Amino acid sequence: MSHSTVPRSRAEAETTEKPPAPPGKPGRPRARKPSLRLRWRRDRVLLLMTLPAVALLLLFNYLPILGNVVAFQDYDPYISDNGIVSILHSPWVGVENFERIFADSAFWNAVRNTLVLFFLQLLLFFPIPVLLALLINSVVRPRVRAVSQAILYLPHFFSWVLVIAVFQQLFGGAGILSQLLREHGYDGLDIMTDPSSFAFLITAQSVWKDAGWGIIVFLAALASVPPDLYEAAAMDGAGRWRRMWHVTLPALRPVIALLLVLRVGDALTVGFEQILLQRDAVGPGAAEVLDTFVWWNGVRNQDFGYAAAAGLVKGVVSIGLVLAANKVAHLMGEQGVYKK
Amino acid sequence: MTPNAASAAPAPSRRSFLASSAVAAAAVAGGMPLLTACGGSDGGSREGTTAGKEAEKLLPAYVAGTVVTPDIPAKNGSAVGFTRKLDLAGLKTSVPEKLGKGGRVTIMSPFWGSPPKSDNAYYRAMNDLIGVDITWQNQDGNTYEQKLGAVLASSDVPDVVVVPSWNLNGRIPSAIISKFADLGPYLSGDAVKEYPNLAAVPTDAWQRSIFGGKLRGLPQPQPYVTGIVPLYRQDIFEKEGYEVPTSCDEFLALAKEATNAKAKRWACLDMKWTAFQAFGVMSGNEKPLGWTMVDGKMINRVETDEYLEALEWTRKLFAAGVVHPDAELGKSQATDAGPKFAKGEFLIYAQNISQWWSRTAEQATQNPEFKVWGMDVFGHDGGDPVLWAEQPAGIWAFVNKKASEAVIRDVLAAANVTAAPYGTKEYMMTNYGVEGTHYTVKDGVPTKTDQGNIDVMNAYVMLASPAATIAHPDFPEVAKGQVEWQQRMGAFTRKSSFHGMQITEPSRYANLSSDFEQMEDDFVRGRKKMGEVQQAISEWRSKGGDKLRDWYKKLLDENGSAAN
Repeated sequence: MSHSTVPRSRAEAETTEKPPAPPGKPGRPRARKPSLRLRWRRDRVLLLMTLPAVALLLLFNYLPILGNVVAFQDYDPYISDNGIVSILHSPWVGVENFERIFADSAFWNAVRNTLVLFFLQLLLFFPIPVLLALLINSVVRPRVRAVSQAILYLPHFFSWVLVIAVFQQLFGGAGILSQLLREHGYDGLDIMTDPSSFAFLITAQSVWKDAGWGIIVFLAALASVPPDLYEAAAMDGAGRWRRMWHVTLPALRPVIALLLVLRVGDALTVGFEQILLQRDAVGPGAAEVLDTFVWWNGVRNQDFGYAAAAGLVKGVVSIGLVLAANKVAHLMGEQGVYKK
Repeated sequence: MTPNAASAAPAPSRRSFLASSAVAAAAVAGGMPLLTACGGSDGGSREGTTAGKEAEKLLPAYVAGTVVTPDIPAKNGSAVGFTRKLDLAGLKTSVPEKLGKGGRVTIMSPFWGSPPKSDNAYYRAMNDLIGVDITWQNQDGNTYEQKLGAVLASSDVPDVVVVPSWNLNGRIPSAIISKFADLGPYLSGDAVKEYPNLAAVPTDAWQRSIFGGKLRGLPQPQPYVTGIVPLYRQDIFEKEGYEVPTSCDEFLALAKEATNAKAKRWACLDMKWTAFQAFGVMSGNEKPLGWTMVDGKMINRVETDEYLEALEWTRKLFAAGVVHPDAELGKSQATDAGPKFAKGEFLIYAQNISQWWSRTAEQATQNPEFKVWGMDVFGHDGGDPVLWAEQPAGIWAFVNKKASEAVIRDVLAAANVTAAPYGTKEYMMTNYGVEGTHYTVKDGVPTKTDQGNIDVMNAYVMLASPAATIAHPDFPEVAKGQVEWQQRMGAFTRKSSFHGMQITEPSRYANLSSDFEQMEDDFVRGRKKMGEVQQAISEWRSKGGDKLRDWYKKLLDENGSAAN
């Protein structure tokens, strides 16, 4: 299974001996950094080839960022037929939207719910794909392995609407399990509508849906571990657990670090559709997260300036988190997402 | 809150969960007699109201156009009812020649249920009858509010957009004023006579269609009696010997008796809307309806004791475990309640009066014992209820400002067909489709076929409709029951100060009460405490509620009251 992580573990092997290679040119040893002109002459074809991608990136990822100026406006998209004209004509309100946000208890509630969900998912979700990957990797028969992999991947392709409907049918107040309990003289369950356990419900749904999909990256990393390392370890008398501890896990470490950094950068994005669909079932007190807060205020209430300000706050905090997590990864001796 | 009800239209039956505690738009002082002088309206103004002479100038002339005399005339704000057998062979023609000029028109509209294929026999037949090539963009009615804001903010607004009054949240009212065409030149005064069926649309419905000082909407007239009926399984009530409750205590007692969770039976769904009615809480359907003068003081519905008492009682039902678990899910439970009601999983639910008929029709063939009926709203203490009047029009079709005159004329041609009164070929086609394909006639009674139940749903009835009409040739006893219910309830119905007016609140208060509905739902399900509700109410006051109070007071001083 060829995957982005495979070259990465190779790259890591290199970095132990050589200074880091510039991105895009792995495996080309150099004594010192060449001059800018020299690099331009050498790389210009490659750079030219990236142009279309860069153009798309600019057009669809960077240009829209400018729209964030509405965070400083009382933006009314309906005063003209063109979004840009509307921006030009909407009144400027300075940082009023931000003042409102920081004084809004609903916003802080959303922040708290977001963080609780993030940590819970980090704790309960993140390790599971690793364990599953190790499990799958230990299966020897290819057929069993393929079938179990397919079964694990499958839920990833279900839409959230479907996943939640399935949970509802099984665990809802009028679902199969509840009715079975009632028929035997117990009380029905309140899993789907209980705000106090909502975070666990969300995490359980995510695990069921996406844990299987998450193992792909780890399996690729496992496949790249040279078998002779295991053989050598076995020759030295290492048992199964020792081999896992000293060979397998170190091989996975860069991937785990990378995914952790990425996950932290995404910390404030904890599952929009999934939560929106269940927001009314437990109420915003437990289910409002930053993304649904932005949606509710922007799309539902058309308070676009306010929603944009909340989105901007989220973006700034997320960047901070990525930088911090990347730093931590570097301190741990890993590559992280990027390196200067 | 209450999905408001165009009782006659069989179409929008599942609008329920849309609800919205909110709303308000540019205003026409309705209420007859026409009010003098107008406040804050200088033609294009975005907030306030348009009334008096200025409104009069905009309103289309009224030319009555009843083809068939109703068996039950309108009374107490009810619809007119038809219960006699329909003479299908003798249907009148109200549109002698096609007014459509063959143009193409796209219409975005909310749709409750599963939309049919875009190219189906009903749409083709209707387009042929109208003479316009109409393409429907049907959007899920339960989440329509989420689409609407984004579509109107884009530069690609369809030719016609249908907007229900309960979706007028946030800045939608201002979007309506800036994005949609002034239909005045085509309809005001005698101009409307070119479209006779539109000329027969009642004036109070047109008054509600003036947004920002211009006639912009094609209205769907509706009775002003509340559209929310506590529907119950009469067959099961009879079998079990249950009495229809006449007070809140009786309701609770009955609900406890009827609930048997082990056997998968609960008494009801969320009865919040019925509670509001029983306790006499003012309508939450539109923001201006939530305000009224009481003893010289302007008060809002959320400030009344009745509001809190109604919520308390609803909470009691949930706490007693008599509410079906699905209702715990609140709005996120968007699936159709019909099948579980038919199975008898719950016996009572509060919904739009149109479901009285649609549930009956759905079950008629496969479940002959099934009988749904509407319960009279009871006063909470067993006395007479106090009900508050809804608006005489609650759904509009708007035409894109950028549309050419030809497109506008084509839209009006279509509306002239869909607004045809009962007893005409056009009404039959709009509501029942094509004979042989969408309904069959047996003993002079039209019965919808399976294809009819799929194709002939929503769509054309959303465009403009005749004066509120209840007529079910297939179930005349239901039509009778509905109109009589409206008339009995109409006797208890009062108008609040701003009834009939189309009011746009200042946009800085647009979202002041947006969170109330969610809070109510949280409270009745035991997720919030009374203290939190009271705190939200006092926050509402300090964040703008008190200012809004002054604003409404001023509006009332300038326009006079519609209250009775």
